[in-house]
Amino acid sequence: MSYTGSAPASSSLYWKGMESSGDPHPPILAGAQNAWDMLSDEQSQKHITTGSGDLNNILGGGIHCKEVTEIGGVPGVGKTQLGIQLAINVQIPVEYGGLGGKAVYIDTEGSFMVERVYQIAEGCISDILEHFPHSHGKSSSGQKQLQPEHFLADIYYFRICSYTEQIAAINYLEKFLGEHKDVRIVIIDSVTFHFRQDFDDLALRTRVLSGLSLKLMKIAKAFNLAVVLLNQVTTKFTEGSFQLTLALGDSWSHSCTNRLILYWNGNDRYAYLDKSPSLPVASAPYAVTGKGVRDAVSSNHKRVRVT
Amino acid sequence: MSATRGRSGGGATTSGCGLKRRNAPQDQEDSKMMNQDQPSTEDWCGRFWNGMELLKDVTERKHFLPTGLEGIDTLLGGGLRQGQLTEITGPSSSGKTQVCLHCASNIAAKQMGVVMYLDTSNSFSPSRVATIIYGISDLFGQRGFELQPKDARLKSVMRSIICESVFDIFALFEVLHQLEVSLLNDKVNNGGSKVCLLIIDSISSLLAPIIGGKYPQGRSMMISVAVILKKLADEHNLSVLVTNHMVSAGNGAVKPALGESWKAVPHVRLMLSRECQNNICTATVLKHTLMASGRTAKFAAPS
Repeated sequence: MSYTGSAPASSSLYWKGMESSGDPHPPILAGAQNAWDMLSDEQSQKHITTGSGDLNNILGGGIHCKEVTEIGGVPGVGKTQLGIQLAINVQIPVEYGGLGGKAVYIDTEGSFMVERVYQIAEGCISDILEHFPHSHGKSSSGQKQLQPEHFLADIYYFRICSYTEQIAAINYLEKFLGEHKDVRIVIIDSVTFHFRQDFDDLALRTRVLSGLSLKLMKIAKAFNLAVVLLNQVTTKFTEGSFQLTLALGDSWSHSCTNRLILYWNGNDRYAYLDKSPSLPVASAPYAVTGKGVRDAVSSNHKRVRVT
Repeated sequence: MSATRGRSGGGATTSGCGLKRRNAPQDQEDSKMMNQDQPSTEDWCGRFWNGMELLKDVTERKHFLPTGLEGIDTLLGGGLRQGQLTEITGPSSSGKTQVCLHCASNIAAKQMGVVMYLDTSNSFSPSRVATIIYGISDLFGQRGFELQPKDARLKSVMRSIICESVFDIFALFEVLHQLEVSLLNDKVNNGGSKVCLLIIDSISSLLAPIIGGKYPQGRSMMISVAVILKKLADEHNLSVLVTNHMVSAGNGAVKPALGESWKAVPHVRLMLSRECQNNICTATVLKHTLMASGRTAKFAAPS
C-alpha cells in the first residue's frame, strides 16, 4: 500500500485560495521544512540506478540522494563493482534519464581498477545507445558526452592510505563539494579498512566514527547528494554460534540511513535491503557481468531499465 | 497562559532551583508588578503547588498522545505523556524510526497539534509519512474533512509536521533555543498552532561523538541537553520523544547507549527489538513512571 499520490504541481491551482489563509504566524523554527514541502521535494528527486532493475526495485528506484547508504558483503561479492557502477551511472546525462552528475570516489583499499572502470563505462554507454536508438543522429555535443573518457574524467578519485588521511579527507569534503557543486555521489570504498587495523582504543574509534558519520549525513543533506559507504564483514559470536555481521560494531550500525547487504545464495549473488526508513525489507538477485552490475540472467521477468 | 514571570527570553537561563516553577492563572497581576523590579529570590523560586492543584493540572493538561500503534499505546498507558520525556531504544533497524514516524503522523492526523521532528540521520521519509497518514485517514474522515479531496487533507496534515536536520550538538542547542523562544512568543501572543510533540531521532548519534574519553565536557553537554528537554516538556506541556542506540554490554548482550547518567533522564524507557527476517517487533518497558516495568507487547512493524 504505497503512496502514489499525484504530483503536487497538478493540484497547485486548487490550492491558490487556501494558500493565503495558510500560516499567518511566523515559522516555529527558521529554516525548518514541513513534511508536505519535503514530500514534493522528494517526489521530484531522481535516483541513481544501480544497473540492475531488480536491485532498483527493492531500493525504491535506485540509490537516493540526501541519504547515506551502507553496502556490505563478503569479499568478492561485488561491493567495489557496485561502487564503480554507481560512480559511472550517476553521470548518465539528464536527456537519457540520468542525473548528469559527477562522482567522488574515496579509495582506502586500492581496489579501484581503472581498466575495469573503462569497461563499465563502455558497457553503460552501449546500454544507453541500445535504449535510445534514435539518438545516434543527435547533435555532436550529446555524442561527445557519451565517451568512456568523458565518464572517467568526471570521477574525482582520492587514494587514502591511513585513517588519519581518511578523517582529513572527510573533513575536507565539505570544502571540495562547495567548489564542485555538480558532484552527486560520494563513494567510500571501504569505510572500514583502516579502522580495522592499528586502532587500539575502541571507545575512541566509536567516537571518531560516529563523528564522521554525522559529517557524511550533513554533506548528503546539504549538497543533495548520495553517500555510499562500503563496509566489510566480520564474525560475531552470538547465542552460541559465529555469525557474519558488518564490521565496526553495534554503534556504527546506526550511522546509515539505508543498509544493503550483498550475499551469495548458492552461485547467485543476492542483495538484501536490511534497513530503510521508507521501504520494506526485501531481497533481489543481481549479476556482475563484463559490462558491470546487471539483472541476473535467470530472472524470468526481464525489465526495461528504469530511466 | 500568562507571561514569563519577569524573566526575559528565558533561553539562556538554567533552572535555578529544585521547586516547580510554573505559571498559575492567579499569577497574572503580580507578574506585571514583578516585571519592573529586579527578579528577587522568590521570583526565581516560583510558587508552591499543592497536590490538588497538581492533580487538576495533570488531568486537564497532561494528556497521553496516542502513537497509533496499539501495542505500544497499551504498554504506555495510552501513549506519550505530555510534560514527559520518553525514550525508545533498540538495535539498528529494530523499528525506532518507524515508531517515531508513526507517532508524528498519528498526532498530526488527529490534529492534536504541531509536531517538531529533529532528524540526525536523514531518515525522516515524507513518503512514508504520507503512507501512514493514508492508513489512518479513515479515522479523521468523519470530522467534516470528507468535503476536501484526499490531497488537500494530506496537505493540511503534513503541514503540521515540521522537520529540521541537526548534525551536531551545537546545532541542537541552537534549535532548542529557537524553539523555546518561539514557544514563549506563542504563549504571549496566544496564537499559532501549538507544538505538542518534539521528536529527536536520534539523540545518541549527536551525543556519541562527544561523550567518553578523558574530557568531561561531553558529559556536561549531555546533561545540558537533558535539562533543556525536560524544561521544554514541563513549561510548554510538550511530549518529548527521543531515540537511543544500543551498544554492546560484553558477552554478546546489548544495552542502551549513553551510560548511567542518561539512564536517569527519561521518564519512560521503551526497548524495541525485531526478529530477523520478519516484521514482528517486540516492545519492552524498561522504565515507567506509573506502571510496572518489564511488560512486553508485540506489534507488526507497519509496512
